[in-house]
Amino acid sequence: MMANKSLKKDQVNNLLNKIAQSSQLIAPIRSENITRFKPVQSGEGVVLDYQNSVVPPKDYFFPQSEKMFSYDTSDPSWAITPEAGVPNRVLFGVRPCDVKSILLLDKVFDAEFRDDLYIDKRNKTTIVAVSCNECRHTCFCGAFGINPGQAEGADILLTDLGDRYLVEVLTEKGTTLVGSCSDLFADDDGNGPAAKEKAVAPAIEKQMKIDLEGVKAKLDNMFDHPMWDTESLRCIGCGTCTWVCPTCHCFDIVDFNNQSAVGYRYRCADSCQFANFTRAAGGHQPRPSKKERTRQRFMHKLRYFVDRYGDFGCVGCGRCLEKCPVNLDIAQIIKKVKEVG
Amino acid sequence: MNIVTENLRKTAAKLLQDKEVEMVIGYGLGSEAVRTQPVFITSPEDAEKLVWNPFCANGLTKYLSDLKTHAGKIAVCVKGCDSRGIFRILQDNIIPRDKVYVIGIPCTGQLDYAKLAAKMDVSGELKEFAEKGDDFIIKTSKGDFTVKKSESLQDKCNTCEHHNPVVADYMAGDKVDLPSVLDSYDQIKKLEAMSPEEKTKFWLSQFERCIRCYACRNTCPGCTCRECVFDNIKPDWVGKEVNVSENELFHLTRAFHLAGRCVECGECERVCPVNIPIMLLNKKLLKDCKELFNMQTPGSTEEGGSTFNEFRLEDPEEFM
Repeated sequence: MMANKSLKKDQVNNLLNKIAQSSQLIAPIRSENITRFKPVQSGEGVVLDYQNSVVPPKDYFFPQSEKMFSYDTSDPSWAITPEAGVPNRVLFGVRPCDVKSILLLDKVFDAEFRDDLYIDKRNKTTIVAVSCNECRHTCFCGAFGINPGQAEGADILLTDLGDRYLVEVLTEKGTTLVGSCSDLFADDDGNGPAAKEKAVAPAIEKQMKIDLEGVKAKLDNMFDHPMWDTESLRCIGCGTCTWVCPTCHCFDIVDFNNQSAVGYRYRCADSCQFANFTRAAGGHQPRPSKKERTRQRFMHKLRYFVDRYGDFGCVGCGRCLEKCPVNLDIAQIIKKVKEVG
Repeated sequence: MNIVTENLRKTAAKLLQDKEVEMVIGYGLGSEAVRTQPVFITSPEDAEKLVWNPFCANGLTKYLSDLKTHAGKIAVCVKGCDSRGIFRILQDNIIPRDKVYVIGIPCTGQLDYAKLAAKMDVSGELKEFAEKGDDFIIKTSKGDFTVKKSESLQDKCNTCEHHNPVVADYMAGDKVDLPSVLDSYDQIKKLEAMSPEEKTKFWLSQFERCIRCYACRNTCPGCTCRECVFDNIKPDWVGKEVNVSENELFHLTRAFHLAGRCVECGECERVCPVNIPIMLLNKKLLKDCKELFNMQTPGSTEEGGSTFNEFRLEDPEEFM
């Protein structure tokens, strides 16, 4: 793989402008006091020193809503027209926890079942990650073995070293991207990796320390634990935790046709916290109350995902615990499981 | 321990001991220093979990709707703003009055989590807090922090109509002697002065962010339909697709469902994860209802119901 490079801070804007000329550029933008990943035409307004985007960048692989195909049932062949795929894209400025979440989504959408819509976006997207020099008070990625200075799964990893970024090229896609803008990069002087260790140290030290030892084994026997009765009482059944989660991936498939022959089929993210999630035809609801729904979310992250895919379904990004309107905090739930389980 | 916390614990323990109520809904310490979390106390021993501090932002009245089939009587703690939600829920016949015991808490304002998180390490355990003039001293396991109350209050607390609950079977503290500050609706007047194109641009840029988590609806004491129109699958009045058009339909429909009923507690705006100024919509309708129909803030009194359920001969008709 390509040797480490260095990118001066005053060249970042030029790099983004150059990328935007040949690919769709998606990068974090700050407005109305929140940071979100948005398609942008240039480097203007892009922020790389944000701590966490409100909504994770998973939307660019698994959009909250996406058209699958359009149809016309009055046509003998039903005239099914698939949606065009996405253009080549560069997803810029992704944090290591969110990169890990994409690897977890790969286990769902690109393994036993191969999801064409997801895979098209994965194949056409180059991921440029950025290490964390700081963390939010809600961060606990270390609990899941994630290092704020590493981003396996990304194509390039940038680390803020003050006046410059250390550029680690991790894949062929990364090599191609750096090669296409080679005049903007210099060779790293060899001090980059050591400087990186120092730069990301605060994010490692200051984050919440959560020990997951034994949690999965305890949850294996906690399906009927009374803890779910008490912890679920304060849940208001909104979808905030699932919508801001970088690994939640449940979806529903719906037709839009205004009761006519012409329409389109779309899929959209669905939340296990909603009262009509899993409601079957005929009205049967296997998860009739907040207790079953609350339990489902934590069990899915910390037990079922491990059973199915050999890894936790959480990356410790801290979004759900920051945004939950009633302080239903996964870090606190983990501690409680260890106490009462 | 402050006197309100002490009173809350004593009262809750007694109510449960005497079997006057089966459950007390109040505030307990949260997972971070400047948060509390709703707690549901069912045994006298657990009453010591109750707390009162300037981080009791949540409104708790909506839980009465969740628990409407609960067999016993339920006590619920309310601040002034939340207390209007009690009348909302009673007037909407969600739960009968004799199944609710209202514990009122006079309030001088609640601090805003996001504002505090920008100024201090909010992640520790809360040890103590004290108010000295405009200074709030917050002592946590991570250190002592001093913040300015005027800079840290929730925006809605700057225009507080009811510092003291409008209804209470028991008041857990001395009445707060602060003037009622009615919203001057300056922001609404600014929006009203915009051209239709400017208004569209403003609102679509807000609705574009909506992720349709429905936290605004689910925390609202006025949103108590048995089956919400947005959850209906057939007919699908509002599609599940998240785009600016469906999002707009969601927000406008919800605002109109609450016209003349919104109790102005501000919970919808507090819980919104993407900072949509939802109260601007509600306040526009409040302002119109107040001006056209001489309405007081819904939920302020036991009688009154909702503006759109009433007809008076002298109601204005010039728009018809």
